[in-house]
Amino acid sequence: MPIRLSPGTSRLLSSRLPFWVTIRLYRRFASTSVNTPEVYDVVCVGGGPAGLSLLSGLKASSVTSSLKVALIEGQDLLKNRLLKDASLESFSNRCSSLTPASVKNLQEIGAWRHVNTARVQPYQEMQVWDGVTDARISFDWGTARSIGPRNPAQPTTIAYMIENVNTTSMLLSRLEELGGVDMMTGTKVSSIELGTDGEKMDLSSWPILTLSNGKTLAARLVVGADGANSPVRTFAGIEARGFDYNRHGVVASLKLDGPGWGGPEHKIAYQRFLPTGPIAMLPLPGNMATLVWSTTPERAAVLKSLSQADFVAMVNAGFRLSTTDLEYLHTLSSAQVDEFAWREKHTPVNEQAIPMRVVDVQAGTVASFPLRMRHANTYTGERVALVGDAAHTIHPLAGQGLNQGQGDAAALVRTISHAVQTGQDIGSTLALESYNSERYAENNAMLGVCDKLHRLYSVESGPIVGLRSLGLRAVDAMGPLKGFFMSRAAGGS
Amino acid sequence: MAPVRLSNSLLGTFRAASIRPANAWRQKCLYHSYDYTESPPFPPAESAILSSAYNHVPSHGFTIDALKLGTRDAGYLDVSTNLFPRGAFDLVSYHLVTQRLALKDNVQFPGDGEQGKRMGVGAKALAIMAQPTYIPASLVELAKLADEIWFLAGDQSVDSSWYTKRASLSTIYSATEVFMTQDKSANFTETEQFLDSRLEDLMKIGRFMGALGEWGNYTGHSTINVLRSKGMRI
Repeated sequence: MPIRLSPGTSRLLSSRLPFWVTIRLYRRFASTSVNTPEVYDVVCVGGGPAGLSLLSGLKASSVTSSLKVALIEGQDLLKNRLLKDASLESFSNRCSSLTPASVKNLQEIGAWRHVNTARVQPYQEMQVWDGVTDARISFDWGTARSIGPRNPAQPTTIAYMIENVNTTSMLLSRLEELGGVDMMTGTKVSSIELGTDGEKMDLSSWPILTLSNGKTLAARLVVGADGANSPVRTFAGIEARGFDYNRHGVVASLKLDGPGWGGPEHKIAYQRFLPTGPIAMLPLPGNMATLVWSTTPERAAVLKSLSQADFVAMVNAGFRLSTTDLEYLHTLSSAQVDEFAWREKHTPVNEQAIPMRVVDVQAGTVASFPLRMRHANTYTGERVALVGDAAHTIHPLAGQGLNQGQGDAAALVRTISHAVQTGQDIGSTLALESYNSERYAENNAMLGVCDKLHRLYSVESGPIVGLRSLGLRAVDAMGPLKGFFMSRAAGGS
Repeated sequence: MAPVRLSNSLLGTFRAASIRPANAWRQKCLYHSYDYTESPPFPPAESAILSSAYNHVPSHGFTIDALKLGTRDAGYLDVSTNLFPRGAFDLVSYHLVTQRLALKDNVQFPGDGEQGKRMGVGAKALAIMAQPTYIPASLVELAKLADEIWFLAGDQSVDSSWYTKRASLSTIYSATEVFMTQDKSANFTETEQFLDSRLEDLMKIGRFMGALGEWGNYTGHSTINVLRSKGMRI
């Protein structure tokens, strides 16, 4: 940087010696030009599904494809890509459900054709029941009649189970196909601060990103797709509110007895609401399935410490035994297999109504993560926009987290292309306003619903248990109402 | 002396002449401070009589007889009991104040036997304290005790929970006190259980209120944020 004179001094000198001052400052500036940041239109921090979807969307649209964009990602994305011939016997434990609306968006930006289809599992039915009263609701488009006659061409899929690595790999392939994105992977952002008013450019309202490789970027718009502890959000001074649930989500990749009760063509997802949190089994191709078990941190620690056979027994118990039995099983440090085998004989269950028996757990896939809910006060700031987990973190019970991020990315692409078309500065708060207004209320409602479901089903006894079971059965009996909920969950409106 | 004046002033019978000597013994702050030592709660003469009278409480209870015996022991004339217009209640008050002030010394090692003996006269003392004339003074003493306990527990809250904490502790304390008068179990184990379950209730309510407050705070903010996102200037 040139030696800066304070504004007063500069004015004073230039009024008396204008020539000398100008020359001097100019020359100093030129000699330090190596430190001038490279100017980008959009810098996306974070290469997760939301960030990659945003960049693909920008590059796929003819309006925004000429924008100069960069991606900064701390991990080496190319190294972590899904292999084309990956074995169908092993699946990553980080899976998500993609709603038809998200898949439609991925199709529109041209990414879906790069997906490894063999590793995507659509499911057509969902069984949800109360762990205390066994009140049950089943979601499938057959029983959820809409008010008018049903369109036979309407797809019967509720959602698609997909590994997160499959999602990012398909988006990366699409980005490679489109080209034009400066990928800075394996690079971290060391600092973000506002620029200064230089001789050539006034960057005083622009975020300047300093990277771990020494580069500096100036961004017309910084997109924070950098997860729940977003540094971009911190830079923008946007507070995220919410609570920790004091629950952990235990995930694992499981192998079942068979492909499921509906066969390989009609897959079923299961979720049982236990007072400690829901336990969900979601179908993957073949006999595989993925588990998400929300439970207390203490129980999660017990589950993670178990041997494979004991863990399998606990998962089977989680879908079959009463909450009292489960509580007891969690106090044992081992030998859950025998205990479960004995207790199972005395617990009558309809095997067809619960997931097929788990026979094996893939080694090294049992992991856990803390559950919390966070919502940023706003998604936009001056030259800042937040997408995905940086903007909101949700309880996983409805499998909406990834889809919200996809919805954010699509909405932000629309906002940016509108700003480009109307000749606005894409980083101005005015141009970004429509993104916040489109997404905030919708995400807030989804966060609220999941939060309330979690709280509703944490109750173990009392009148609330009876009322919630009554409500669940009532919704189950009312086809159109159920259809409405399903279309909301599917991302439609 | 102090509680007399306080109760009188609370009852509206404020006498300027008689409040003057008491003031000298009431130069204390309404808050706890590490920088100033508190003056003793009773003037020397009263203190001497009350402390010797207190030794007679185990045999005579909180009665005017105990007070008279104490006056004699301390070398005063019987008529000196006129120093204590409230009679037995002054003795009860002395007990409460001294026990409260002693709390900070024996809070780490409460003596079980002593406690049992001391509380054996609880029922009678409670009956005296519950007399309408003495209720305001008793409540003041209860509030001071709750304050002392929270102070010793290291509570430094300066928000509205300062009041709710003291109020809830006072409620539990008095409920336990009443329960104890009817407790026939050895070593007051039932009272202990009663106290534990009341404290557990309090913590449950506290957790619930905390969660409710957190949730309310979030919901309030998110409502404002949604309205803002729709372009409302708030």
